[in-house]
Amino acid sequence: MIAEAPLDSSLLAWLGAIILLVGETVALLALRNLAALIAVSTVAEIGYLLLAVGVGGATGDTGAWMHLGYQAVMRGLMVFTAWWLIRRTGSASLDALTGSGRRMPIASTLFGFALFSVMGLSPFKGSYSKFLILYAALEGGHWLLAAAGTLASIIAAFYYLRVIQRVCLEPPLEPRELNAEPWWLAFPIAPLAALTVVMSLWPEPFLRLAAEGAGALDLGRVPEFESPWSLLVLVPYVGGFALYIVGLHTRLMRELNAVLLAGLTLVLAVVGNGLDPASHLFAVLFAGIGFLVVLYSWGYMAHEGHGNRYTFFLFLMIGSMLGLATAHEFGNFYVFWELMTWTSYFLVIHEQTPKALRAGFIYFVMCAGGAYVMNFGILLTHAQVGSFEFAHIAAEAGNIDPAAGMVIALCFLVGFAVKAGFVPLHAWLPLAHPEAPSSISAPLSGILTKAGIFGLVKVLFVIFGATQLARFAQSGVDVGTLITVLGCLTLIYGEVMALLQKELKRMLAYSTLAQIGEIAAILGLGSSLATTASLLHVTNHAVMKTLLFFAAGAFILQSGRRQIADLAGLGRRMPFTAGCYALATVAIMGLPPFSGFVSKFLMITAAAADGRVDVAALILVGSVIAAFYYLRIVRLLFFHPYEGPLVEEAPLTMRVAIGTLAALIVAGGIAPQLQLDAVAAVGNMVAAAGSLPPVELPNLTLIWPAATLIATLGALVVWLVGKNSVVVAGRLAITVVAASFVAVLLQADRYDSLSFAFALLVSGVGTLNMAYATGYMAHGHAQARFYAAFTLMMAGLMGMAGSHDFFNFFAFWELMSSWALYVALVHEETNDARREAFKYFIFNTVGASFMFLGIAMFGTGAGSFEFKAVALAAPEMSTPWFGGALVLVFIGMLMKAAMLPVRIDYQMHPATAPTPVSGYISAVLLKSGPYGVLKLFALFGGATLLNRLGVIQGMPAVMDAVAIIGGVTVLYAGAMAVVQNGIKRLLIYSTVCQLGYITMALALGTTLGVAGGLMHFVNHMMVKDLLFLCAGAIMVASHAKTLDELGGLGRKMPITFAIFLFAGLSLAGIPPLNGFSSKWLIYQASFQSGHYVLGIFALIGSLFTLAAVLKFAHAAFMGAPGQAAEHAEEAPAIMLVPMMLLTAGCFVVGMMPGVLLVPIAAIQQQLGLTPIAATWMGPLPGTGGWHPGVLSVLLLVLGSVSWLYLRLGRAGAPIIRSPIHLCGVGTLSPAVANTGALNLYESADAAIRGALHAKYDTGYDPDEPSDHVEANPA
Amino acid sequence: MTELAYPLAVMLFPGGLFAIALGLALKGADRRLAARLQGRVGPPLMQPFYDLVKLARKRTMAPDIAALPVFLGAPLVGAISMMLGAAMVPIPGVYAPDPILGDLLVLLYLLAVPAVVLMVAGSASGSPFGAIGFSREMALMLAYEGPLVLVVAAVALRTGSFSLADIVAYQQAHGSFLFDPVMWPALAAFIAFYPANLGIVPFDIPEAETEVLEGPLLEYSGPALGLFKLMSALKAVVVLSLGIALFFPLAPEGLPGLVAHLAKLLVLMLLGVTVVRVSMGRMRIDQAFFFFLKWPLVLSVLSLAAVALA
Repeated sequence: MIAEAPLDSSLLAWLGAIILLVGETVALLALRNLAALIAVSTVAEIGYLLLAVGVGGATGDTGAWMHLGYQAVMRGLMVFTAWWLIRRTGSASLDALTGSGRRMPIASTLFGFALFSVMGLSPFKGSYSKFLILYAALEGGHWLLAAAGTLASIIAAFYYLRVIQRVCLEPPLEPRELNAEPWWLAFPIAPLAALTVVMSLWPEPFLRLAAEGAGALDLGRVPEFESPWSLLVLVPYVGGFALYIVGLHTRLMRELNAVLLAGLTLVLAVVGNGLDPASHLFAVLFAGIGFLVVLYSWGYMAHEGHGNRYTFFLFLMIGSMLGLATAHEFGNFYVFWELMTWTSYFLVIHEQTPKALRAGFIYFVMCAGGAYVMNFGILLTHAQVGSFEFAHIAAEAGNIDPAAGMVIALCFLVGFAVKAGFVPLHAWLPLAHPEAPSSISAPLSGILTKAGIFGLVKVLFVIFGATQLARFAQSGVDVGTLITVLGCLTLIYGEVMALLQKELKRMLAYSTLAQIGEIAAILGLGSSLATTASLLHVTNHAVMKTLLFFAAGAFILQSGRRQIADLAGLGRRMPFTAGCYALATVAIMGLPPFSGFVSKFLMITAAAADGRVDVAALILVGSVIAAFYYLRIVRLLFFHPYEGPLVEEAPLTMRVAIGTLAALIVAGGIAPQLQLDAVAAVGNMVAAAGSLPPVELPNLTLIWPAATLIATLGALVVWLVGKNSVVVAGRLAITVVAASFVAVLLQADRYDSLSFAFALLVSGVGTLNMAYATGYMAHGHAQARFYAAFTLMMAGLMGMAGSHDFFNFFAFWELMSSWALYVALVHEETNDARREAFKYFIFNTVGASFMFLGIAMFGTGAGSFEFKAVALAAPEMSTPWFGGALVLVFIGMLMKAAMLPVRIDYQMHPATAPTPVSGYISAVLLKSGPYGVLKLFALFGGATLLNRLGVIQGMPAVMDAVAIIGGVTVLYAGAMAVVQNGIKRLLIYSTVCQLGYITMALALGTTLGVAGGLMHFVNHMMVKDLLFLCAGAIMVASHAKTLDELGGLGRKMPITFAIFLFAGLSLAGIPPLNGFSSKWLIYQASFQSGHYVLGIFALIGSLFTLAAVLKFAHAAFMGAPGQAAEHAEEAPAIMLVPMMLLTAGCFVVGMMPGVLLVPIAAIQQQLGLTPIAATWMGPLPGTGGWHPGVLSVLLLVLGSVSWLYLRLGRAGAPIIRSPIHLCGVGTLSPAVANTGALNLYESADAAIRGALHAKYDTGYDPDEPSDHVEANPA
Repeated sequence: MTELAYPLAVMLFPGGLFAIALGLALKGADRRLAARLQGRVGPPLMQPFYDLVKLARKRTMAPDIAALPVFLGAPLVGAISMMLGAAMVPIPGVYAPDPILGDLLVLLYLLAVPAVVLMVAGSASGSPFGAIGFSREMALMLAYEGPLVLVVAAVALRTGSFSLADIVAYQQAHGSFLFDPVMWPALAAFIAFYPANLGIVPFDIPEAETEVLEGPLLEYSGPALGLFKLMSALKAVVVLSLGIALFFPLAPEGLPGLVAHLAKLLVLMLLGVTVVRVSMGRMRIDQAFFFFLKWPLVLSVLSLAAVALA
C-alpha cells in the first residue's frame, strides 16, 4: 500500500503532523480553561492517529490501533475525572480549579494519574503507542515527522504538567463552596481507572490485540520495549511501597527499615553480579549516596510533614537510578530515565511552596523534553540497528549511517545534557536545588546530574565508542568536541554565577554546574585517560557536593540561616558539621591531601595529555574563581564571631552521614587506589570500545617521608590535645617539630643533598620558631589550632623536600601553601587578618595554578611524573612544550617567592599573621620558590638542556629572565621597604628584596652564583627570622603595630636590641658579618658572569636594606622613649633562647663561612655543577680569597686597642649621664622631641614614594584595635 | 707574603699608626690652609694630635636616655673600620694589599661603616638633633651611593677585576684612567661623590653646626668624640687614596713611590677638600639629594655605558 501511493499516505501523515502541532499549540494557549484544553488536545491527538496511519507499515498500523485504544481509555478517565472536578467546582477555569487537590483529594489524584498516563510518561504506558508511531515514522525514514511528533510531546508535557501542578498540588487561590458530588460519574471513572492500571502494567496483550487489529502478524518487527527488572531495582521499589505502608503506623520503624533497605541495596550494588565496570561504578555510587541520603533524611525530615510520601519517592528514585545504571538495553534505560525524572520531581516539590512548584515545573518540563529528544535518538538507533540491546548496538554500530549516527549522538547529548545541567540547558539546576529539601539537593547535585554523565559515558563512549563517534563526526558535528565546548561554557558560567550568589544552596548549585562543566570538558576529550579522570571526579564530586549540601541543610535546619552572610561564626556552634563542611570545601577546591585534589590532578593531566592546555588552563581559572566563593564561607563560619540565639549541633544521623562522607574524602585523598581501579576499568572499556590504548594511570599515591608523617599526625594530635590543655599542646608541638628534625636526619638517604639541607633547615628553624611561638602566644586564643596549622605547614615543606616525583612535590607544595597556611595567617581573626590572609590565599592559588599546569605538561610529556623520568624525557619533548612547562612552573615558584614586582603588596605574605609564623614564612617558607628553581635547574642538567630555549650571551634565556626578575625585585622591594612604617611590613618588603638576591643568584647558574644564592638562602633564613622574632618581642612588649608608636625600647630590651642591630646590619651586608659574605659572593657572581647591571642592582639593594634596618632600629629602639616603651619588658626566656641560638649560628657562619660553604660544595657536586672550592676554616672562595674571620679578628684586635683609648679619660670614674641638649628648652615632652619613623629620610622617602607610587599603608586598618591585646598578660 | 704581613699592614703601615698619623697631619694642613684662605692665622699643624690627647683626658659623658653600649660602641667601630680600610687601599709602587683583607667590594662596604656608625650614634644619643643628622646622613647616602657603585663597577668592568691591586696594575700597564676619555664621566662622578662621603661643604648637611649643632656629634665629648675625629681623619686618607688608586695610580717603585703618594694626597686634600669647603656654601638636604640623582647618576651611568661599549 505504501509503495503504491507514497504521496497520498505521506500527505496524510503530514496532515496528521500539522494537526498535531497546531492542536498542541492551541491547547497550550487554552491553558486557562481546562475544558477547552482537554477538547483541543483530544483533537490534536487525532493528528497522531493520522500520522500513524499515514506512515503505515506494520508498526505504524499497530501503533495507530494501540494508540486509539490507549487514548480512549486514558483520555476517557481524564475527561470523566475532569468533569467531576469541574462539576463540583462549578467552573472550568484553571484558576478556579487550582487547589482541587486539597478539596477533592481522590478525584484529583485520579485526574493527575490520568494526565500522567495520557502524557505517556513512564511508568504510565500511554507512551507505548506513541513510541510505536514514532518508531514507524523513523523506520520509514520520515525523520521530520518523527521530530514533529516529539516536539508535540514536549509541548503537551508542558501544559499537562502545568495542569497537574495547578489542580493537584498547588493550594487554592480562594476558598470555594463545592457543589454536590456527581455520583453517576463514578461509574465510568472506576472501570477506566482500573483499566488504565492494567494497561500500564501489562501492555503486551493489548499490543497483540492491536497488531491483530492492524492485520500485522509479524510481531518480531515491533521493538521489544522492556526487559524484566533486576533484584537491585526491585529491592528499593518494593521497599518504597512497603515503607509507605509501614510508615502509616510508625515513623521509627519506617526510618529503621529504610536505613536497612538502603543498606541492603548498597550491598547488592557493591556485589554487582554481572555488571560491567561502568554500570557497577555508577550503581555503587548511586546506592552509596542513596544510603547516606536515607540516613541523613532520618534526622533532617524528622519535623517535616509527609514523611511517607518522601520516603516512598526517595526509594523509587534510588531504584530508578539503579535501574538506569544497570540497564542493558534502551527500553529499560528509557523507562528508568523517565522514572528518575518523575520521582525526583516529587522530591523537588516536596515542600510544595510556590517557589518549589515553579522550580519543579521547570525541572520536570526540561528533563521530560530532553527525554523525548533522547527517545527520538533511541528509536532512530533501533531503526538503524534493529535492536535495543546495548551489546547488539555496540556490535552493529559500524553499520549506522554517519548522518543518522550524528543525529543519534546529538539526540542523546541533548537528553543527557539537560539532566547533567550543561549550559544552555541548565536552567532547572539553580532553581531546583535551593527549593528542594537539602536532603534532596544533595543527591540532585551528587548523583542525579551524574546520571547525565553516566549516559554520556555509557552510550556515547562505551556503546558507540570513539571510533564510531569520529565516523559520525564526519557528517558535521563532533559530539566529543561539542561536549568539551559545552563543558567549558558550563564551567565558566557556573563559577562566575556561584561567585555572585548570596544564598548558600544557590551558590552550591552553581558550583555543581561548574564542576559538571569540568567533568564534561575533560570527558569530551574522549581518551581513556580523560574518561578515567572525569569519572574519578564524578565520584569525588558526588561525595563532596553531597556533604556540602548535607552540611548546608544542617545549618538551615538548626539555625534557619540560608544566606551566606548570616553564617558568620556558625562554625563555633556547630563545630562538627562546619568542620566537615570546611573539609569538603578544601577538597572541592582541589587541595591536598583530599580526594578532590587527586581527581583535579588527573583531569589536568588528562587535558595536558591530549594537548589541550587551553582546557586545563580554563579549569584552573575556574578553580581560582571557586577559591573566592568557597573560602569566603569557611572564613565566615570559623573566623568571624557568632551572634544570635543558641544553636545546637545537627542530629546524630545527619552527623553520621556527614562524617562518613568526610571520611571518604580523606580516604580518597590518601589512598585513592580503590577508586582509581574502579574508574580505570571504565576507562579501559572506553579504550576497548574506541580501539584506543588502555589507560596508563600515573602514580597518584602520596608518599609520606617519616618527617612529614610525624608532623602531620603530630599536628592532628596537637590540635586534639589543645582542646584540653594548651600548655601541653604547645610543648607537644615543639616536640613534634623537633622529632621531625630527627626523622629527617635518620632518613637522610631519601633526600638529595639540597633537599636534605632544606628539610633540616625547615625543621630546625621550625623548632626554634615553635618554641618562640609558645612564648609569644602564651596568652592568645585558639593556640592549639595555630600550633597545628604551623606544624602542618612544615609537614608540607618537608614532604616537598622529600618528594621524588612531581605529583608529590606539588601535593605537598599545596599542603604547605594553601589551607594550612591560611589558618595560620588568619589566626588573629581581625578584619585585617581576614582580608590579608584571604588575599594571600587567592594569590597562592593563582601561583599554584601556573605551576600545576606546567607540572601536568612535564608529566604528560614524559609519560611519568617521576623526576628522573621527566629529566630523561626532557630532551625528546618539543621545545615549545618543554619551554612552556618550564616557564609556567618557574612563574609559580617566582610568585611564591613574591618576585615579579607588579603588585608586591598582593604577593607578600600578610603582616597581620602572628609573628612567629610571619617570621617563619619570610625566613623559610618562601624559600621554597628559590629551592624549586634550583631543583628544576639541576634536574634538567643545568644550562645544557635549558640552552635549547634560546641563548643570550651564553646564558639560557629562561634562567636569564628569572635572574632579571630577581634583580628588579631586589631594587623595587628594597626601596619599598625603606618607606614602610608598619613594623612587619617593613620586614616583609625586606624579605622580598632578599629573596630577590637569592633567586637572582641561583638563576645565574654559575658555581659562584649558586653558592652565593644558597649561602644567602641560609643566612637570610637565620637573620630574617631573628629580625621577625625581635619584632615579635617588641609587639608583645608594646602592643604596637607601626614604628611610629615606638621609640627608646633599647634600654628596656637590651638583648633584643643587640640581636636586632646585629641581624639588621648583617642583613644590610656590612662586613664582616655573615650577611655580607653571601652577598659578596652574589656580587662577584653577577659581575663575573657578565651581569653587571644585576650586580649593581644587588649593590644598591643593600643600601636600601641598610636604610630600612636603621630606620627600624632608630624608630623602635633608639631616640626618645615613646609611650609604648614605658611598660615594656625584655622578652621571656622561651623567646630569647631561640633568638640567641640563631644569633650564635649567624656568628659562627660569619667567622667561618666554610661551615656553610663545604655542605654547599657537596650540594653543588650532586646538582652536577662544579663545586665551589671551600674548606671548613678557609677563606671565602672566589676571585680574591677574602676571609671574613681574619677581618673579624683584626677588627677585634684594633677594637681592643681603641677601647683602651676610650677608657683613658675615665680612670675608673663612672660615665656622666646628663639630659640631652635642647638649646635650653627644658619643657619638651619626649614625644615632641622624638623623631619618628614617618619623619626620617624625608627627601629620599618622598622620592621613592613618588617613583613607586607607594601609599602610606601599614598593612593595618588604623581603626582596628591591636592584634596583640590577647597576646599580652598585662 | 708572610703570615705576619697583613697584621702589620693593619697595625702599622699603611693602616694603623701610619694612617692615623697621615690622616691627622692632613687634617692639620687642611685646617691651616682653610684659616689662611679665610684670613685667619689658623692652628698649628699638629693641632689634631693635641686635640686627640686633650679629648682622651676628659671624662666620658652620655645623655641619660642614650642606649649606652651603642652610643659608645659606635665611634669605636667607626674608627677601627677605617684603620682597617687604610690597609686595604694600595699605595702604588709601594704596597699592595693582601687579598685576604678583601677586595674593592669589601672596601666599598667598609667605607659605608663610618656613615652607618654616625647614623647609629645620632640615633642612639636620643637627641632630636642627632636624629635629624641620622635622617639626613641616610638620605644623602641613598643618593650618593648609587653613583659610587656605578663608578666602581665601571672601573672593575674596565679592568676586569675587583682587586685594587689588579686595578692599579692594569693602569700601570695601560695608562692612568685620568687620561682615558672613556673614564672621564666616572671620574667626574667620583669627584662629586667624595665631598659627600667625607662630609664637607657643600654636603656637610648631616653635621651642619649652624643648623643641627653637629647633629650626631652633638652629645659626644671626651675620648668618644676623639674616636670620631680619628675616624674622620682616617676616612679622608682612605677615600682620597682610593681615588688615587682608581684613577691616577702611576708612581715609581719604593720610597719615591711613597713620596709621590703622599704628595698626591696632600694636593688632593688641599685642592679637593680645603679649597672646596671654604669656597662654597652648604646645600639643603633636598637639594643635595636631587643633585646626586641628577648629575652624578647620569655621569656614572654614562661611564658604565661608555666602558661597556668601549
